[in-house]
Amino acid sequence: MIKVLFFASLREQLQRDGLEIEAAGLTSVTQLRSKLAEQGATWQSALSNEQLQVALNQKLSTMDAAIQDGDEVAFFPPVTGG
Amino acid sequence: MAVDISVSVQAEGFDPGVEYSRLRNENYSDGATSMFVGNVRDFSPTALLGFPEASLDETGGRQSVTVLELEHYPGMAESALTDIARQAAARWPLGRVRIVHRYGPLNAGEEIVFVGATSTHRQDSLDACAFIMDFLKSRAPFWKKEVGEPGDLGTWVEARSSDEKALKKW
Repeated sequence: MIKVLFFASLREQLQRDGLEIEAAGLTSVTQLRSKLAEQGATWQSALSNEQLQVALNQKLSTMDAAIQDGDEVAFFPPVTGG
Repeated sequence: MAVDISVSVQAEGFDPGVEYSRLRNENYSDGATSMFVGNVRDFSPTALLGFPEASLDETGGRQSVTVLELEHYPGMAESALTDIARQAAARWPLGRVRIVHRYGPLNAGEEIVFVGATSTHRQDSLDACAFIMDFLKSRAPFWKKEVGEPGDLGTWVEARSSDEKALKKW
Protein backbone atom coordinates (compact mmCIF):
# COMPACT_ATOMS: atom_id res chain seq x y z
CA MET A 1 0.00 0.00 0.00
CA ILE A 2 0.99 3.61 -0.54
CA LYS A 3 -0.02 6.14 2.11
CA VAL A 4 -1.20 9.40 0.52
CA LEU A 5 -1.60 12.64 2.49
CA PHE A 6 -3.18 15.99 1.58
CA PHE A 7 -2.58 19.30 3.32
CA ALA A 8 -4.03 22.81 3.58
CA SER A 9 -6.27 24.02 0.71
CA LEU A 10 -5.90 20.69 -1.12
CA ARG A 11 -7.11 18.82 2.00
CA GLU A 12 -10.15 21.13 2.14
CA GLN A 13 -10.93 20.74 -1.57
CA LEU A 14 -10.82 16.95 -1.32
CA GLN A 15 -12.49 16.96 2.09
CA ARG A 16 -10.06 14.37 3.42
CA ASP A 17 -6.55 14.36 4.81
CA GLY A 18 -5.39 11.15 3.21
CA LEU A 19 -6.00 7.63 2.00
CA GLU A 20 -4.23 4.35 1.29
CA ILE A 21 -3.96 3.01 -2.22
CA GLU A 22 -2.79 -0.31 -3.66
CA ALA A 23 0.77 0.12 -4.93
CA ALA A 24 0.41 -2.36 -7.82
CA GLY A 25 0.94 -0.67 -11.18
CA LEU A 26 2.04 2.65 -9.70
CA THR A 27 5.71 3.36 -10.32
CA SER A 28 5.90 7.17 -10.18
CA VAL A 29 4.29 10.09 -8.37
CA THR A 30 2.81 11.22 -11.69
CA GLN A 31 1.07 7.86 -12.13
CA LEU A 32 -0.29 8.06 -8.59
CA ARG A 33 -1.55 11.58 -9.24
CA SER A 34 -3.33 10.45 -12.43
CA LYS A 35 -4.86 7.48 -10.64
CA LEU A 36 -6.21 9.71 -7.87
CA ALA A 37 -7.59 12.21 -10.41
CA GLU A 38 -9.80 9.43 -11.85
CA GLN A 39 -11.93 9.53 -8.71
CA GLY A 40 -14.11 12.38 -9.93
CA ALA A 41 -14.31 15.98 -11.08
CA THR A 42 -13.24 17.42 -7.72
CA TRP A 43 -10.15 15.23 -7.68
CA GLN A 44 -9.38 16.00 -11.32
CA SER A 45 -9.62 19.72 -10.68
CA ALA A 46 -7.74 19.79 -7.36
CA LEU A 47 -4.88 17.60 -8.58
CA SER A 48 -4.45 19.45 -11.88
CA ASN A 49 -3.13 22.51 -10.00
CA GLU A 50 0.33 23.05 -11.51
CA GLN A 51 1.57 24.66 -8.30
CA LEU A 52 1.11 21.45 -6.31
CA GLN A 53 4.19 20.20 -4.52
CA VAL A 54 4.97 16.67 -3.42
CA ALA A 55 6.92 15.10 -0.58
CA LEU A 56 8.08 11.49 -0.82
CA ASN A 57 8.68 9.85 2.57
CA GLN A 58 8.66 13.29 4.19
CA LYS A 59 11.23 14.88 1.87
CA LEU A 60 10.41 17.41 -0.86
CA SER A 61 10.42 15.56 -4.17
CA THR A 62 9.31 15.86 -7.78
CA MET A 63 6.38 14.46 -9.77
CA ASP A 64 8.69 12.20 -11.80
CA ALA A 65 10.07 10.49 -8.66
CA ALA A 66 9.78 6.70 -8.49
CA ILE A 67 7.53 5.23 -5.81
CA GLN A 68 7.12 1.77 -4.33
CA ASP A 69 5.04 -0.22 -1.89
CA GLY A 70 5.23 1.24 1.63
CA ASP A 71 5.99 4.82 0.55
CA GLU A 72 4.33 7.88 2.04
CA VAL A 73 3.42 10.50 -0.58
CA ALA A 74 2.09 13.93 0.40
CA PHE A 75 0.55 16.50 -1.95
CA PHE A 76 0.18 20.14 -0.94
CA PRO A 77 0.12 23.74 -2.20
CA PRO A 78 3.28 25.87 -1.96
CA VAL A 79 4.26 26.30 1.70
CA THR A 80 3.64 29.58 3.56
CA GLY A 81 5.17 29.18 7.01
CA GLY A 82 7.49 31.46 8.93
CA MET B 1 33.25 20.73 17.16
CA ALA B 2 29.74 19.68 16.20
CA VAL B 3 27.14 22.40 16.01
CA ASP B 4 24.45 22.15 18.69
CA ILE B 5 21.16 22.11 16.72
CA SER B 6 17.77 22.14 18.44
CA VAL B 7 14.38 22.21 16.69
CA SER B 8 10.87 22.33 18.19
CA VAL B 9 7.54 22.26 16.36
CA GLN B 10 4.86 22.98 18.94
CA ALA B 11 1.37 24.36 19.58
CA GLU B 12 2.45 26.11 22.79
CA GLY B 13 3.85 29.60 22.84
CA PHE B 14 7.52 30.27 23.51
CA ASP B 15 9.47 32.90 25.41
CA PRO B 16 12.20 34.55 23.30
CA GLY B 17 14.04 35.31 26.55
CA VAL B 18 14.14 31.64 27.48
CA GLU B 19 15.31 30.80 23.95
CA TYR B 20 18.10 33.38 24.26
CA SER B 21 19.16 31.82 27.57
CA ARG B 22 19.27 28.43 25.89
CA LEU B 23 21.63 29.81 23.21
CA ARG B 24 23.85 31.46 25.84
CA ASN B 25 23.89 29.01 28.76
CA GLU B 26 27.56 28.16 29.46
CA ASN B 27 28.44 29.31 25.96
CA TYR B 28 31.71 31.18 26.47
CA SER B 29 33.22 30.76 23.00
CA ASP B 30 30.61 32.54 20.87
CA GLY B 31 30.70 36.32 21.06
CA ALA B 32 27.71 36.79 18.74
CA THR B 33 24.06 35.78 19.16
CA SER B 34 21.56 36.62 16.39
CA MET B 35 17.84 36.01 16.63
CA PHE B 36 14.70 36.49 14.55
CA VAL B 37 11.11 36.34 15.85
CA GLY B 38 8.07 36.32 13.54
CA ASN B 39 4.70 37.45 14.92
CA VAL B 40 1.08 37.34 13.71
CA ARG B 41 -0.02 40.60 12.04
CA ASP B 42 -3.53 41.97 12.59
CA PHE B 43 -4.08 42.63 8.88
CA SER B 44 -3.77 40.74 5.62
CA PRO B 45 -0.45 41.56 3.94
CA THR B 46 -1.95 41.43 0.43
CA ALA B 47 -1.88 45.24 0.26
CA LEU B 48 1.89 45.12 0.55
CA LEU B 49 2.12 42.89 -2.51
CA GLY B 50 0.76 45.35 -5.04
CA PHE B 51 -2.91 44.37 -4.84
CA PRO B 52 -4.23 47.09 -2.50
CA GLU B 53 -7.85 46.71 -3.63
CA ALA B 54 -7.85 43.00 -2.85
CA SER B 55 -7.14 43.52 0.81
CA LEU B 56 -9.65 46.31 1.46
CA ASP B 57 -12.90 45.45 3.19
CA GLU B 58 -16.31 46.86 2.20
CA THR B 59 -15.71 50.03 4.22
CA GLY B 60 -12.45 50.68 2.40
CA GLY B 61 -10.35 49.68 5.38
CA ARG B 62 -7.70 47.00 5.24
CA GLN B 63 -8.83 43.45 5.99
CA SER B 64 -8.28 42.60 9.60
CA VAL B 65 -6.95 39.26 10.76
CA THR B 66 -7.87 38.11 14.24
CA VAL B 67 -6.60 34.53 14.03
CA LEU B 68 -3.91 32.87 11.95
CA GLU B 69 -4.34 29.11 11.64
CA LEU B 70 -1.10 27.28 10.97
CA GLU B 71 -1.28 23.79 9.53
CA HIS B 72 1.84 21.60 9.43
CA TYR B 73 3.00 18.20 8.25
CA PRO B 74 3.93 16.39 11.48
CA GLY B 75 7.28 14.65 11.20
CA MET B 76 8.33 16.31 7.98
CA ALA B 77 8.12 19.77 9.59
CA GLU B 78 10.71 18.78 12.20
CA SER B 79 13.00 17.04 9.71
CA ALA B 80 12.81 19.89 7.17
CA LEU B 81 13.75 22.47 9.83
CA THR B 82 16.59 20.27 11.09
CA ASP B 83 17.86 19.86 7.53
CA ILE B 84 17.82 23.66 6.98
CA ALA B 85 19.69 24.19 10.28
CA ARG B 86 22.30 21.61 9.19
CA GLN B 87 22.75 23.39 5.86
CA ALA B 88 23.36 26.66 7.71
CA ALA B 89 25.84 24.92 10.02
CA ALA B 90 27.70 23.59 6.98
CA ARG B 91 28.03 27.08 5.50
CA TRP B 92 28.99 29.15 8.55
CA PRO B 93 31.05 28.37 11.67
CA LEU B 94 28.18 28.33 14.19
CA GLY B 95 28.08 27.27 17.82
CA ARG B 96 24.37 26.73 18.43
CA VAL B 97 21.24 26.88 16.27
CA ARG B 98 17.72 26.94 17.68
CA ILE B 99 14.48 26.92 15.65
CA VAL B 100 10.96 26.96 17.14
CA HIS B 101 7.90 26.96 14.87
CA ARG B 102 4.34 26.92 16.18
CA TYR B 103 1.18 25.43 14.69
CA GLY B 104 -2.54 25.68 15.44
CA PRO B 105 -4.65 28.82 15.91
CA LEU B 106 -2.58 31.90 16.80
CA ASN B 107 -3.94 35.30 17.77
CA ALA B 108 -2.72 38.60 16.34
CA GLY B 109 0.50 39.61 18.04
CA GLU B 110 1.51 36.11 19.09
CA GLU B 111 4.90 34.64 18.23
CA ILE B 112 4.96 32.20 15.27
CA VAL B 113 8.62 31.42 14.75
CA PHE B 114 11.99 31.81 16.48
CA VAL B 115 15.35 31.41 14.79
CA GLY B 116 18.57 31.93 16.73
CA ALA B 117 22.24 31.23 16.02
CA THR B 118 25.51 31.87 17.82
CA SER B 119 28.97 32.31 16.33
CA THR B 120 32.38 33.76 17.08
CA HIS B 121 31.77 36.71 14.76
CA ARG B 122 28.47 38.50 14.17
CA GLN B 123 28.26 38.27 10.38
CA ASP B 124 28.12 34.47 10.50
CA SER B 125 25.20 34.30 12.94
CA LEU B 126 23.36 37.16 11.18
CA ASP B 127 23.72 35.46 7.78
CA ALA B 128 22.74 32.07 9.23
CA CYS B 129 19.48 33.47 10.66
CA ALA B 130 18.57 35.13 7.35
CA PHE B 131 19.43 31.95 5.41
CA ILE B 132 17.36 29.77 7.74
CA MET B 133 14.33 32.09 7.50
CA ASP B 134 14.55 32.27 3.69
CA PHE B 135 14.66 28.48 3.33
CA LEU B 136 12.06 27.91 6.05
CA LYS B 137 9.62 30.16 4.12
CA SER B 138 9.91 28.11 0.92
CA ARG B 139 10.87 24.62 2.08
CA ALA B 140 9.31 23.82 5.45
CA PRO B 141 5.78 22.27 5.33
CA PHE B 142 3.65 24.89 7.08
CA TRP B 143 0.56 26.62 5.66
CA LYS B 144 -1.13 29.78 6.94
CA LYS B 145 -4.82 30.56 6.86
CA GLU B 146 -6.04 34.03 7.82
CA VAL B 147 -9.34 34.28 9.68
CA GLY B 148 -11.00 37.68 10.11
CA GLU B 149 -14.18 37.49 12.14
CA PRO B 150 -15.46 34.54 14.21
CA GLY B 151 -17.32 32.16 11.89
CA ASP B 152 -15.28 33.27 8.90
CA LEU B 153 -14.06 30.23 6.93
CA GLY B 154 -10.70 31.87 6.44
CA THR B 155 -8.41 32.43 3.47
CA TRP B 156 -5.30 30.42 2.71
CA VAL B 157 -2.26 32.64 2.33
CA GLU B 158 -0.78 32.46 -1.18
CA ALA B 159 2.92 31.72 -1.54
CA ARG B 160 4.89 34.72 -2.76
CA SER B 161 7.24 34.50 -5.71
CA SER B 162 9.51 36.91 -3.80
CA ASP B 163 10.08 34.17 -1.21
CA GLU B 164 11.33 31.76 -3.87
CA LYS B 165 13.51 34.52 -5.37
CA ALA B 166 15.01 35.19 -1.93
CA LEU B 167 16.70 31.78 -2.09
CA LYS B 168 18.73 32.74 -5.13
CA LYS B 169 20.93 35.12 -3.17
CA TRP B 170 22.30 32.13 -1.24
